[in-house]
Amino acid sequence: MDLRFTETQEILKKMARDFLTTECPKTLVRKLEQSTEGYSPEVWKKMAELGWMGLIIPEEYGGMGYSFQDLVVLLEEIGRNILPGPLIATITGTFPILQAGTEEQKKTLLPKIAQGELIVTTALLEAEGVFDASGIAVKATPKGNDFIINGTKLFVEMAHIANCILCVTRTKDGTSPEKGITLFIVDSKTPGISWEVMPTIAADKLCEVRFKDVNVPKKNILGKIDEGWPIVEMMLRKGAIAKCAESIGAIETCVEMTVAYSKERVQYERPIGAFQAVQHKLADMWTAMETSRYLVYEVAWVESEGLPCAKEASMAKAYVNEVYKDVSKWAVRLHGAIATSADHDIPLYYRRSKAADIAFGNTDFHREIVAQKIGLV
Amino acid sequence: MDLALTDEQKVRKQEFYDVCKELEKRKPPNFLGFETIYEDDKCWEYNLHCAKEFAKKGWLALGWPPEYDGKGDMMDRVLFAEARGYYGIPGVDIFGVQMLAPTLLQAASEEIKRKFLPPIARGEVMWCELWSEPNAGSDLASLSTTAIRKGDEYVINGQKTWNTGAHKADWGFGVFKTDPAGRKHHNMTFILLDMKTPGITIRPIPYLDGHAPYCEVYFDDVHVPAKNIVGQEHEGWAVVNLLAGFERSGISEIMTMIRGLEDLVEFCNETKRHGQPLAKDPLIRNRLAELACGLEAARALAYRVADLQNRNEMSLMDASAGKIFFSELGERFAFLATDILGPYGQVKTSRWAPLDGVWERMFHEHFITTVSMGTNEIQRNIIAWYGLGLPRIR
Repeated sequence: MDLRFTETQEILKKMARDFLTTECPKTLVRKLEQSTEGYSPEVWKKMAELGWMGLIIPEEYGGMGYSFQDLVVLLEEIGRNILPGPLIATITGTFPILQAGTEEQKKTLLPKIAQGELIVTTALLEAEGVFDASGIAVKATPKGNDFIINGTKLFVEMAHIANCILCVTRTKDGTSPEKGITLFIVDSKTPGISWEVMPTIAADKLCEVRFKDVNVPKKNILGKIDEGWPIVEMMLRKGAIAKCAESIGAIETCVEMTVAYSKERVQYERPIGAFQAVQHKLADMWTAMETSRYLVYEVAWVESEGLPCAKEASMAKAYVNEVYKDVSKWAVRLHGAIATSADHDIPLYYRRSKAADIAFGNTDFHREIVAQKIGLV
Repeated sequence: MDLALTDEQKVRKQEFYDVCKELEKRKPPNFLGFETIYEDDKCWEYNLHCAKEFAKKGWLALGWPPEYDGKGDMMDRVLFAEARGYYGIPGVDIFGVQMLAPTLLQAASEEIKRKFLPPIARGEVMWCELWSEPNAGSDLASLSTTAIRKGDEYVINGQKTWNTGAHKADWGFGVFKTDPAGRKHHNMTFILLDMKTPGITIRPIPYLDGHAPYCEVYFDDVHVPAKNIVGQEHEGWAVVNLLAGFERSGISEIMTMIRGLEDLVEFCNETKRHGQPLAKDPLIRNRLAELACGLEAARALAYRVADLQNRNEMSLMDASAGKIFFSELGERFAFLATDILGPYGQVKTSRWAPLDGVWERMFHEHFITTVSMGTNEIQRNIIAWYGLGLPRIR
């Protein structure tokens, strides 16, 4: 057992921190929140040169061939700094292609993803807003060599700029909601697709995507027809761990900024950090950060080893969701009025804590998985 | 990052689990967790029996250097603690094996090590801790019990309190003021003493449920050989700090809770309310899942602390965070479990009590972890002052 980062991971961490500090200052974060695109194509290009989109793609498909655990190291830095854009959406979209894609699909898509030429997103949620299969109603109906997709997806991250949409559809009404789910690789320029950006708390460009008689060739089915739900579960599991990694970076920033502020802000002729009411809250925030961090590292290791970790991944997501919201809330509270201003950096994190909570399944969704996995009938 | 155990570690872990599982079968009916060994003679005998069994295998000296008949490494200690925690097996004297032995190895003279370590490894001598006083709790350094040097002896006068198991212990270790005129933190000495020495009076204190796991100890001209000290004379505070850093991962306590959760899940599956198993109640599912998440987080942090200890990179902050976290998780668990049990959550061990009445007991026993070994408020100070660099109270 050795919980330290490897040398490669230390290098990756430092490189990411230096890059993001220079290339993605908070002025840019705010600008991107206001912009239509929501990401910087220039920064995206530089990230592609560093190999970030292809970090976990095997070298034979033009990627870096790093492990899932290494990805967690990168994502932690991204969460620490905040990086608006389609990186997590693209990486999460890569998991199903890697696991279930045909050789042809892999050869076509993965090198382009690795080079930053293909932005991927996943269209999963619909009007009900639930992460289980019962919420999937968008229909794909066979017609000759094609399938015709009809229906509306919601909360599709960065769909407005994505080149490729992985669309989770219902192809058959089965005996259970999980049966009859099929994933399609859809070119976002296909006629019949329209979108609208939803106004959200993190300004993270979640979109409504409408499919009206959208023709998709059969060869674009990802995995097996009607048997796509296990792929979605895998993606939710890995996505949840990835989101946790991003969140622990953000939690760290909230703790660091609040500790620093409590040392410099003077009231009653002493720094507010001299008051135990503040000290003990900071100690609790630090403790929550540390528990989250090692829980996420543990799960990332298990996932990296290819061992089953549905229980642990859900435990981590359910736990870190609550810690991120709570720690960023206390970061605002301990800063006082100043951190309620839009000009302050802390609210950038606080707003994102809600978005992070929902992404890949909120706390109650994951607690139910945990309830099943610990053996409750 | 690598959480894998080596093949050898896997084998040893299995052996730890196998032996503990066997010992579990010999638990006396009154045995309901670690504290009961100090309250019930049968439980104390069981504690001594387990100690002997572990001693035979050399497991009371895990991680000690070979020259003191040590065996295995620090990771073995962690795996052993896991197994004991999971099966709830006593036999590892928290004071002798877990606190004093590593302290002696680091800070004691060769003579002291040779005299006191072997009986600890053999499971023959049981220890107690003599730290707190009526007016020196969290602010331990303000203690007033004196040990005045007279020739080859110290003569001790005063009172200690909250001494867990002092009425059962053979020997005690404590800090006593040896230089009453000296400045704070440099006026006390870490002394080892035989609890049968004339002048010592031990009085059990009833815990809030009426049992008596701890005592107050009175010293009236107690003569102790001056050679029985650890560290330098008047510099006992440094030894106190050293000792406080050992065995703080909490992995044993966490594994006990993980087992407790397994038993509670089984109870919820088998017990019907409103015509269906308790396990079907969405609120119970959610609350138990929340607790399970916390337990996994606690375990992850415990491994972090253990990993640091294995490399002698002890982080005071992480150890304090771990202690706060697992002990307060224990409080929440006790509240949750007694809620789930409904009216049965108040019943002590008896034919009416589900799960042997362990949760009624945990409803008050959790204070032992939150309050002892530095209250959680003190642990928060440690994180704030020594970890985060915030101004400390003088």
